[in-house]
Amino acid sequence: MAVKPLLIGFSAITAVVVWAVIPLIASRSSVDLLVFTALYSIAGIGVSFLLGQCGIVSLAQSVFYGIGAYATAYGCVHLGWPAPISMALGMLISAIIAWTIAWPILRLSGFFLALATLALAIIGQTLFVEWDWITGGTLGTGGIPKLDFFGWVLSTPQRFYYVIWPVLGVILWMHYSLLNSRHGFAMRAMRDAPDAALTLGIPVHALKVRVFVLSAVLGAFAGSLFAHYVTFVSVDSFGVSRGINFLLIAVLGGAQTIIGTVFGALFVTLLPNALSKFGDIHALLFALLLVATVIYLPLGFAGALKQLLLKAIKSGNASDSGQRVEHKSKSGNTL
Amino acid sequence: MASGTLLLQSVLTGLTNGFVYALIGLGISVVFRGTKIINAMQGEFALVAGLVAYLALRTFEVPLVLSFLLGIVAGGLVGWFMEAFFISPARLRGATDDTFLLVTLGVAFAISAAVLYFFGRDNIPMPGLGGNGSLDIFDAAIRIHSVWLIVISISVVTLLMLFYHRTHLGLSMMAVSIDADGASMTGISVPRMRLLTFLLGGAVGGLAGVLVAPLITVHYEMGLLLTLKGFAAAILGGLLNPSGAVIGGVVLGLIESIAVVTISSGYKDVISMTTLIIIMILMPNGILGRGGRRGG
Amino acid sequence: MLNDEFKGSATRRATLKTIAAVASMGPVSLFAQQEPIKIGSVLSLTGPGAGLGQPERSGILLAEKNINDRGGVGGRPIKILIEDDGSKPDLAKSKAENLIFGEKVLAFIGPSLTASTGAIASITNAEKMAQVTFTGLGPVIEQSYKMLYHVLPPQILNARAMLEYASKSAKAKKVGVLHDTGYGQAVLAGLQTLNASYGIEFVSIERFEVGASDVSAQAAKVRASQPDLIFVIATSPVPFRNARQMKITQQIVSAIGSASYDYVRGMGEFADDIVFPEFMVGENPLPRQVEFVELYRKANNALPKNFEAAGWDAANIVAKAISKAGANASREAIAIAMRDPYEGAMAKYNFAAADMTGIELPSFIFSRLVQGKFTRLTFTAS
Repeated sequence: MAVKPLLIGFSAITAVVVWAVIPLIASRSSVDLLVFTALYSIAGIGVSFLLGQCGIVSLAQSVFYGIGAYATAYGCVHLGWPAPISMALGMLISAIIAWTIAWPILRLSGFFLALATLALAIIGQTLFVEWDWITGGTLGTGGIPKLDFFGWVLSTPQRFYYVIWPVLGVILWMHYSLLNSRHGFAMRAMRDAPDAALTLGIPVHALKVRVFVLSAVLGAFAGSLFAHYVTFVSVDSFGVSRGINFLLIAVLGGAQTIIGTVFGALFVTLLPNALSKFGDIHALLFALLLVATVIYLPLGFAGALKQLLLKAIKSGNASDSGQRVEHKSKSGNTL
Repeated sequence: MASGTLLLQSVLTGLTNGFVYALIGLGISVVFRGTKIINAMQGEFALVAGLVAYLALRTFEVPLVLSFLLGIVAGGLVGWFMEAFFISPARLRGATDDTFLLVTLGVAFAISAAVLYFFGRDNIPMPGLGGNGSLDIFDAAIRIHSVWLIVISISVVTLLMLFYHRTHLGLSMMAVSIDADGASMTGISVPRMRLLTFLLGGAVGGLAGVLVAPLITVHYEMGLLLTLKGFAAAILGGLLNPSGAVIGGVVLGLIESIAVVTISSGYKDVISMTTLIIIMILMPNGILGRGGRRGG
Repeated sequence: MLNDEFKGSATRRATLKTIAAVASMGPVSLFAQQEPIKIGSVLSLTGPGAGLGQPERSGILLAEKNINDRGGVGGRPIKILIEDDGSKPDLAKSKAENLIFGEKVLAFIGPSLTASTGAIASITNAEKMAQVTFTGLGPVIEQSYKMLYHVLPPQILNARAMLEYASKSAKAKKVGVLHDTGYGQAVLAGLQTLNASYGIEFVSIERFEVGASDVSAQAAKVRASQPDLIFVIATSPVPFRNARQMKITQQIVSAIGSASYDYVRGMGEFADDIVFPEFMVGENPLPRQVEFVELYRKANNALPKNFEAAGWDAANIVAKAISKAGANASREAIAIAMRDPYEGAMAKYNFAAADMTGIELPSFIFSRLVQGKFTRLTFTAS
């Protein structure tokens, strides 16, 4: 059916147009929220990929997010380095730490692994507080310079918006390519038929480690961007609750798809803000909505959307063939 | 002998905290045994039970022990409610392990937020068994209530072991999680066993709550903190084994306490969490090892 | 059992509405129809900082009502728009941006926590807007923000006040410290800079994470060091309980952040023999505090403490500056108009001072908890 690619193309163009227009008409705080959505999406993609392709529940993304943020803060504020170098340093440190931790930890499975990542998040949070000569402890580090591209400073939410979402787009595209590559095939094999994967000679453990490292690097990248956006970092942003948030984003969005992460991030970022108009009860409302979403949409938003689309296409097909049957009987043939 | 007293004090404190973690871990283990679900809201049973006991005591002037019992009943009811209205519907819609984790986590947030909304952010103090009296052991102090806590925890664990292995009901509850179809074929009502598991898990969590409340005050964030420690206890002991959870909890409590006293108080969590990770990697079946899996 | 504060604020809102309704009738109606002067505020109304933000809001709202009852500023009513940052710096920044660029407020009050101050101050500084914050002078960068005024003392001054009492009144030489990693850490930094000059040695320093439910092990360690008295610095009643339960019989000296009626309730029977260097003892106010205490008591049926007073002062400081610069003045002019000494209900400030706070040691009042009640000590620091 030629309709399907047309439909996708049309909706994609509409989405891009809508996206481009939003900062021109929406309030500054709305644009600000959308910037956070993109930032959290980047970190969330790491968690989502790990979950969807390797079946690993990771609560440790907050640690790498924090490392990225503090590395760029320390590098720019205390060492006077330019932002790209500090950010790269953060990603490098995260990669090394992730690689070192992954080898022993990824031997665990299921809940044990999840608990190990939670333990990591707790350790990370404690060290961020304790090692205050790097992080500034609970007082935090301020004065982080804004990002600038040869003089064009990202000093407003609008400007940051126009940079961060294309960056997110690139990352999404990279992941889709990865999924469709040989490595993607290996990962699917590892996830769906681990024994077969082993016989095919796929180095399951090494593959998991690599994905974990990739996830950590994404987290660090998101963290450094965050630091350059808010210009002030403190331990409150890098604790266990942040790690839980990232996991929520991955699961709510639907870990089987990658774009789902963006929906999850929208949910987690926009909803609490909308609910705060209800006053003190907003935390309770958010939790209840969360539970409802998890129960009724077990495949996440993207999963539910996919099912809807499939249903719509199938019923389109069915009504076509239904007409054909009717047509036949009208012409007088008995069946 | 100052450091001797200090060490002894840290052992007593560690034991007390350890048995609290053990009770929560016990509840997690009970739920896992019966349903294979990791219950991220186990600590909330404790919170609800503590609150109910407080209300009974202060508003309705019910005697202390009876207030505690009411708290335990409340915990059980919340457990039943969870299974009936949240877990079951999720299961029917094809929930995976991650889904259950998030459902229980979401409900944990909801209960915590509800308590915050209706009761505020104060720390609510509760009186303990034996009032505020404490025993002096070589100049180290342990509250009488803490002694009760330890004694009751040990009794409950023993009772649970007997329950699971000697009674028909207990065996049925275990059977349901091992093989639901097989169990129903032998005439065991699978939905009923699952409800009972959560009820029992809730009651055990409630017991933990009423026992720990006099020590740490009732507070809206209390559930989440307890659940974390309970997880660690249960894993240390090897998830399937309730008595393992107790040992895991005690070990965790002692490690924390002794680390504070001997190494540094700031790194307490780093030490206990690192120990947890190491134990998980080196001893995947928990401290009790493979033998523990079979045992009570 | 219902959140008493929630009930109280509902009553207050009802009161405000009634007054507004009455004021809008008769000859005062012209006042109510004037374009209000908008002032922005971000406070921690939920989350760990709510113990600070909620009382701050009480004080601010009372001041707003009081100012408007007396004709507002320059004939126009003031309107203080208060947002909640949930104790998170990122949210604080978002809410602040909305108030500054969306609502176009003339001045800014808050926030409640140091991290949030850092996030917001970079914006107010760039916009040359006055910001009256409830945190003491914090990280070094704040000294370069010349329009950031503080209505609470820098932690080093709090530390000094504690040491003044410990050495001059209690005559202590050995002190044990039990502190949390947040507020406690900040005050400790000051303590460690100054203790030598007071001849005080810290025989033990034990810390615990914010929100810890049990710190008995740390308390026992402090006890074992046999101090003359102990400093407990935390934003929760738990360490105070544990200290006494671990048989620490020495006097406890704490800091202003722990001096709240909520914590006293949480301490239960252990709320005894604890000394606070603070600014407001509602049971026994200083002459310049009486008016505020009476107004607060009538409106809320409770006594105010430091943060309610700070909220009241902040709102009044902003109103006075706008009155001085003129309601149509630019944000920068208003900020400059604030750089004067000011005698508030909480303390005597001087915003022209180098630390942009100007609170001096003599401003401190020392209170002692006696069986759950605050009493004002005669000791003063100089």
